Amino acid sequence: MTSLTDAGAGSHTSVVAARTVSAVKVYGSGDTAVRALDDVTVEFERARFTAIMGPSGSGKSTLMHCLAGLDTLTSGQVFIGDTELNGLDDKRLTLLRRDRVGFVFQAYNLVPTLSALENIVLPAALAGRKSDQAWVDTVIDTVRLRDRLTHRPSELSGGQQQRVAVARALASKPEIIFADEPTGNLDSRSGSEILDFMRNAVDQLGQTIVMVTHDPLAAAYADRVVFLADGRIVDEVADPTAERVLDRMKQLGG
Amino acid sequence: MWKTTISGLLANKLRFALTGIAILLGVAFMAGTLILTATVKASFDSLFTDVNKGTDAVVRTKGAIDSSFGGSERGRVPAAVLDSVQSAPGVAHAEGFVQGFAQLVDKKGKAMGNPDQGAPTLGLSWPETPALNAFHLVAGRAPTAPDDVVIDNASAKKAHFRVGDRIKILTQGPTSDFNVVGIVRFGAADSPLGASIASFDSATAQRLFGAQGSFDTILTVADKGVSQTELAAAIRRAVPGDTEVLTGAAYTKENQDDIANGLGFFNAFLLTFAMVALFVGSFIIYNTFGIVVAQRTRELALLRALGATRRQVLRSVLAEAAAVGLLASAAGLAAGVGVAAGLKALLQVLGFDIPANGIVVHTSTVVTSLLTGTVVTLVAAVMPARRAGRVAPIAALRDVAVEPTGRPTRRAIAGVVVLALGALALLGGLFGKGDNAVPMVGLGAAIMFVGVAILAPVLARPVARVLGWPSARFRGIAGVLARQNALRNPKRTSATAAALMVGVGLVGFITIFAASAKLSINDTIDRALRADLVLQGSFNGGVSPDLARDVRNLAGVDAASGMRIGSMEVEGATKQVTAFEPAAIGGLFDIGVTSGSVDGLDQGIAVYDKAAESHHWKLGDTLHVRFAASGPRDLPLVALYGRKDVAGSYVISTGTYDANFTDHLDFAVYVKAAAGADTAAVRANVQGLVDTQYPNVKVQDRTEFKKAQAKQVTTLLNLIYALLLLAVLIAVIGIANTLALSIHERTRELGLLRAVGMTRSQLRSTVRWESVIIALFGTVLGLVVGTFFGWSMVKALSEEGFSRFAIPVGSLATVVVLAALAGVLAAVFPARRSAKLDVLRAITHT
Ligand SMILES: Nc1ncnc2c1ncn2[C@@H]1O[C@H](COP(=O)(O)OP(=O)(O)OP(=O)(O)O)[C@@H](O)[C@H]1O
Ligand SMILES: [Mg+2]
Repeated sequence: MTSLTDAGAGSHTSVVAARTVSAVKVYGSGDTAVRALDDVTVEFERARFTAIMGPSGSGKSTLMHCLAGLDTLTSGQVFIGDTELNGLDDKRLTLLRRDRVGFVFQAYNLVPTLSALENIVLPAALAGRKSDQAWVDTVIDTVRLRDRLTHRPSELSGGQQQRVAVARALASKPEIIFADEPTGNLDSRSGSEILDFMRNAVDQLGQTIVMVTHDPLAAAYADRVVFLADGRIVDEVADPTAERVLDRMKQLGG
Repeated sequence: MWKTTISGLLANKLRFALTGIAILLGVAFMAGTLILTATVKASFDSLFTDVNKGTDAVVRTKGAIDSSFGGSERGRVPAAVLDSVQSAPGVAHAEGFVQGFAQLVDKKGKAMGNPDQGAPTLGLSWPETPALNAFHLVAGRAPTAPDDVVIDNASAKKAHFRVGDRIKILTQGPTSDFNVVGIVRFGAADSPLGASIASFDSATAQRLFGAQGSFDTILTVADKGVSQTELAAAIRRAVPGDTEVLTGAAYTKENQDDIANGLGFFNAFLLTFAMVALFVGSFIIYNTFGIVVAQRTRELALLRALGATRRQVLRSVLAEAAAVGLLASAAGLAAGVGVAAGLKALLQVLGFDIPANGIVVHTSTVVTSLLTGTVVTLVAAVMPARRAGRVAPIAALRDVAVEPTGRPTRRAIAGVVVLALGALALLGGLFGKGDNAVPMVGLGAAIMFVGVAILAPVLARPVARVLGWPSARFRGIAGVLARQNALRNPKRTSATAAALMVGVGLVGFITIFAASAKLSINDTIDRALRADLVLQGSFNGGVSPDLARDVRNLAGVDAASGMRIGSMEVEGATKQVTAFEPAAIGGLFDIGVTSGSVDGLDQGIAVYDKAAESHHWKLGDTLHVRFAASGPRDLPLVALYGRKDVAGSYVISTGTYDANFTDHLDFAVYVKAAAGADTAAVRANVQGLVDTQYPNVKVQDRTEFKKAQAKQVTTLLNLIYALLLLAVLIAVIGIANTLALSIHERTRELGLLRAVGMTRSQLRSTVRWESVIIALFGTVLGLVVGTFFGWSMVKALSEEGFSRFAIPVGSLATVVVLAALAGVLAAVFPARRSAKLDVLRAITHT
């Protein structure tokens, strides 16, 4: 798969933040075995915003989980930067998630006993590091959470909670952020806030983001859309617009 | 509804197993105690049945005085009565018996056995009448000469005595050597329940036990065809009025009842700890059911939405509780058999030889155990069940399980009121003059614990915040989360901590009480004891009065006096009386004589001034007292004194004691060296005397005496610690249970934490610190309550010599450290489980 945009000179790995090679994930065995990922080879470039789309059950979440070190492949390889994830033990995978990867789930992203701020700096706290205060301030202001920092998750709206989650993913300056339907539970206004914010993070901060979505409007925020069906990459669109994405979805669906 | 009960039980197997253990352990302890007591009682019953098998009637004096240490004191029957008994119609055989203290000395010169810690050391007159002899000779012959003795086979085996050997025997007379002429067994046993036996011919026994011309009892065998009742009636007509005649059966029954009484105390003592364990268990039941109901809120709400009534929901939870309680109690009952066997082995180690005629399980034991366990479980589950009934159908739609915290002010008021009621009962029991002091104090303590448990949720946040500070400060985010988790559900944290509070509260109480006792004893010794040496005999046995006489004759000894304690009746009430050598009292003790003088004690009595005051006695009055052996006596009140910690409330002279009691044994001898005498030399002399003649005596200087007194307290303290360990163990299981339930509830959150980079060891650390915070919370509550208990107990006993209140900071700090370690221990299993969570599965868990 070739790059859709020319990222200029540099080695293969300096351009690619994460990739899979012939990734296969099989759930169960025998008659009930499900091939959630079926020979997926895909790359995600640095400082780019990629959307992953596909019908329900096509393997989007599975791909994200395997990329983020939350799950392991049945066969094939996964890389975050230069690091191959296969064969890393639990401890190393945990540290990789903590230090190099950010993750935003569709729902339930926050530790209920911690305040918004504590949630944002959680990975750094887990690492026993002081977080980069200036950077954290920037992130907080960007997500417009300054007046909510001492609130507990239960005192925040769904949109605010997702913004805290995105802020957490950004605060530790990970190499790559994976977001699995981050706006799935939100109304369109809150959703577009999050998406704007992610777009900005990519444009202004050079953040790499991979996002799963079912929404063509959300996908339109991305630089590139990758389509998955039955555990395979079936198509992709560069510089998508909502219409083109919808179009492609119809084709694939039909 | 029954289906949901059963499926509820099955779905929560593990948590109910853990809950059940809390009840199981308590019931096991209770059943074990009941079974052990029944077993011991059965062996004593059969022992007495065997001993008295051939006895058809018993003659003895009337007017026994029950001693305050169990048993009773009774006068002796003049030997002439034996003739009257023998001439009564229907009497086939009649024989007089005496018994007393006789301790064997082994071949190395060591006294055998210790009547204070094990079975008694008995001296008996040898029964000539075969029907009245429960022993049978396995070697040698019956004693006939003044220096003949027959000993029991157990002692013979232990110390390798054989017929023909010489043996030294300690009695209340001079220590003397005897010829072992025979060795006996008792039925199938080598000795009766481990007691050592020295049996002499009748005249010798009378001489040794100070019973010349008299008998303790006269036992009779009836002619063929004469019933026990007829025999007793016939003898009654033949004997003087101050003697009583019992049938053999009545006598056996009396012996058995005496033992039952003694066992009753032992039983009540152990059962108290079983009750404490069950009480702690009830907190855990309450808590587990509370959590389970909260976690099942949605399911219960759905049932309500589908038309289940409140009552049905409530009943289904109670049915679960009943099932858990019954199953756990049944398991506890089974385990109790093992506990009884263990306790029995323990007694065996202590020197009580309980024949192995099996374990006795009465129906009443089965019923009591099952009922108690089940009822405790049900009662503890009532509140959670009511909460379950109150779940609104709409809760089915809500997302999270919320446990209502209730209104803090109302809770605080309720807690304070209950606490005050408990304190009132406790203090009323301690300081009041009521008859039911002990149950009042126990009930008051329990109510106070409940009061604190009600208050605890209000205290949980502030206290746990402080207790969690170190973990949050030094353990990073894992510590912060631990503290937050401990704080997030104050009710749950409190109920869990409350279970530990009970155990720790009692540990703290007993620790403080013991420290105060030691300090007070030291204080008393420092202030009131002038003696340089204390020669300690045994309380249940004693030492010959010859020791005091011999010591007095040693060079360098200024004063020496034995100390004895007996019972007498004063104005109809039984009182304890202490006897000393009047001339020596002043040199040996400071009893704080306020008026009169103990010099005149030879003929009179000295009384503690407060006791005299309450009876309106004045110096010079005559006290009308009654002794069991000698009957009514008039004793002039010759002195009043202000300290009762050495001598109790009544003091008489050794001479008066000799004249009015059958035994003449001292339990200790106090010695004062002459001014200017070399105390080391005096001690060496005394030691030499003791080693050769009185090997059942320990020579102690003041420091050693203090240490020995402290050691007695420590021994008792350790025993109580051991018994309280169960309550603490149950509380630790409770913490583990709560943590496991909480972790289950937080599965998603833990998955999330793992997803964003929390390592397994960090997660374990979080669980561990939460556990430690809960444990410390319970400990702090417990120590506060325990300190109050200790303080009020010491104050209540200030008259009895508890002059000092001590808070042993070091010991209590150890308790805190141990509690923290218990917290770590409780967290081991839940922490491991939490670390094993599959990250993805956890985060998608609903
Ligand atoms: N733990 C599992 N055990 C068995 N099968 C699973 C498991 N997780 C996912 N699957 C299966 O793998 C396939 C891919 O699932 P995945 O969650 O990746 O789909 P998705 O594209 O994220 O769908 P959606 O858009 O609904 O979130 C599905 O058929 C699913 O049923
Ligand atoms: Mg998905």
